[in-house]
Amino acid sequence: MGDRRQRKQRGGETMTEKKSLSISGLGDFLIRRGTGVGMIVILLALGLRANLFFALSNLMDVLKQGSILTLIALGLTAVLIGGGFDMGAGALVQLTCNLAAGLIISGVNPAITLPVGLAVGFVTGMVNAFLVIVVKIPSFVATLGTMFILQGLTTYYNKGEALTITRQPFFSFLGQGRIGIVPMIFIIVTVIAALMHYFFKHTRTGLRMYATGENSAAATLRGVNTKKYLMLSYCISGAILGLTGVFQASYAYGASAINSGMDFLIQALSAAYLGSTFSKTNELSVIGTVVSGMFIAALSNALIINGISNQQISGILGTILVLSILLNVIKKREIGQVTIF
Amino acid sequence: MNDTAISRAPARTKIINFISSYGSVIGIILVLVVFQLIDNRFMRIQNIVGVLNSSTLLIVMSLAMMMVMSVRGIDLSVAQVADATGVIAAMLIIAGKPFWLAIIVALLFGLVIGIFNCILMSYLGIPAIIGTLGMMFIVRSFELTLTKGAQPQILFTLPPGRTKQFFFIGQGSLGPVPMLIVICFVIIVVMYFVKERSVLGRHMEAIEGNVRAAYLSSIRIRKVFGATFVFSSFLAAIAGIMLVSRSGNAVPRGVETYLTDCFVAVYIGTLVSKRNKFTVAGTVVGGALFVGFLSNFLTLRGMGAAYKSLFNGVFIIAAVALGALQKNRK
Repeated sequence: MGDRRQRKQRGGETMTEKKSLSISGLGDFLIRRGTGVGMIVILLALGLRANLFFALSNLMDVLKQGSILTLIALGLTAVLIGGGFDMGAGALVQLTCNLAAGLIISGVNPAITLPVGLAVGFVTGMVNAFLVIVVKIPSFVATLGTMFILQGLTTYYNKGEALTITRQPFFSFLGQGRIGIVPMIFIIVTVIAALMHYFFKHTRTGLRMYATGENSAAATLRGVNTKKYLMLSYCISGAILGLTGVFQASYAYGASAINSGMDFLIQALSAAYLGSTFSKTNELSVIGTVVSGMFIAALSNALIINGISNQQISGILGTILVLSILLNVIKKREIGQVTIF
Repeated sequence: MNDTAISRAPARTKIINFISSYGSVIGIILVLVVFQLIDNRFMRIQNIVGVLNSSTLLIVMSLAMMMVMSVRGIDLSVAQVADATGVIAAMLIIAGKPFWLAIIVALLFGLVIGIFNCILMSYLGIPAIIGTLGMMFIVRSFELTLTKGAQPQILFTLPPGRTKQFFFIGQGSLGPVPMLIVICFVIIVVMYFVKERSVLGRHMEAIEGNVRAAYLSSIRIRKVFGATFVFSSFLAAIAGIMLVSRSGNAVPRGVETYLTDCFVAVYIGTLVSKRNKFTVAGTVVGGALFVGFLSNFLTLRGMGAAYKSLFNGVFIIAAVALGALQKNRK
């Protein structure tokens, strides 16, 4: 506490002096870097109990397991940055996953599924944006409605049966292949994340989307067309989620009939919000999302190696979600009203 | 051009006014009439009583959700709590405990989750949509661990002497009226007085309108906001007990689908009241009963889960779009 006051008084000091870490600066350091330190400590503790976790092949597996989750979280981050919300993120992934699997089974060239997934996602994003911006339905309800419709379409399409893909070496390479030792799907994640990072942090459009999401009224006063940027964020998010569904089909050798849209959603939300605790102002960021997504995958992996059952993992993830958001809001302490409906 | 617009305006506004105040009720009745025309089994007394009986659970859970949503909160854990309480009650009965103990422990569980939710959302300030989502997964995890991986807890194979009193809640009847409908009716009346006729209800309305103003007029917003979560989980616990007592077994994760039905019920319910508010009557009549009849109709026609989600989605969007339309007009 005292340290913070001191730092306020010494406002004009140079960067190097500010960064120097004394013992009294430890608390401040923990607040700023707490998430990262916490992640490393947790994984180290779990890894030391079960050394298998640190094996190179296991670490690569973690990257592979976390990739789909990270992609969904990236899609969600895009829409959250623009100030929207998407309950239907998981449902959209499931729909395009089923579509891709169904198309390949019916003999379509696997390469075509990628643009199909992209297009379906983009159109869904447009519909969401239309409902939120033109019809003025609050984003939570609008996307809840589209979530139901997407679920219905998925069940209608697969008739409640699993769609399994066999003997598609090229298509399966996307999700399951490796280049050298690195999983192909992780390379895809890296490329998409790099593109998104550049777009959101280094282009005019991306920065304006940030402005729209953080304070829509202020952005409007500065002459930003907030409706346009909100729509754009829904479309980008939809496109990424649509593509993710195709990768999911490749990763899982098809589509399962189990409705796991909600599970996808909670993990992706956890990753996005956990990622935002990296920044001092709790700003959502692409890199934070990627790191957190991979952390969640690593945590699940480490817990399973430590002999904790699958049933408890969802509870642990729920706890992480609550704690990570708690770090964000504990200073403000408003009541938890939902303003998005 | 101008003249015609002016002369037509009053008639048009009259029509729009009429539609905006009664349109949704007319719409609901029309949908039901269409259902009857398509399938004449729909309006038989037997079928109606059956629907009423099975809608009681949805009514109780929708009321729970409505309480929270009327102060601009949300409780995504409501169905999961109902699920877990049902499982807990069933497990206690199987373990040979008396029925009253099972009910009390199950209700206490609901209360505890409600208090947790209250602390998280109201006193720590976690956005309800995240906090209750997290709670939903924690409760699910707890329940799966308890049942060792979702093993169904079957009560109806037990000797009738041990389950008779417990089954009375869900399968017995008071005179000609099924017990479930009696319980549900009592809950509706109690909730009506809490929500529409009490100080707490009025404070809730103030918070719905404007938290800041409510705070400045010395309403204890944290208490009121938090209380709705306790109500919600407690009602969910009652619903869970009712369900298990009716069906005679508790399948872990079996109630989860009710969550989405609750949303549809509450949102369609807002249309029934004049100013699109969350009201007890609206949620019961417009929402839960309508959703009950809708899913009954789909079952009668042999249409599966796909159609149900599609209808749910379309009705939610239609209901809220209609509400938004009315608001924009004012």
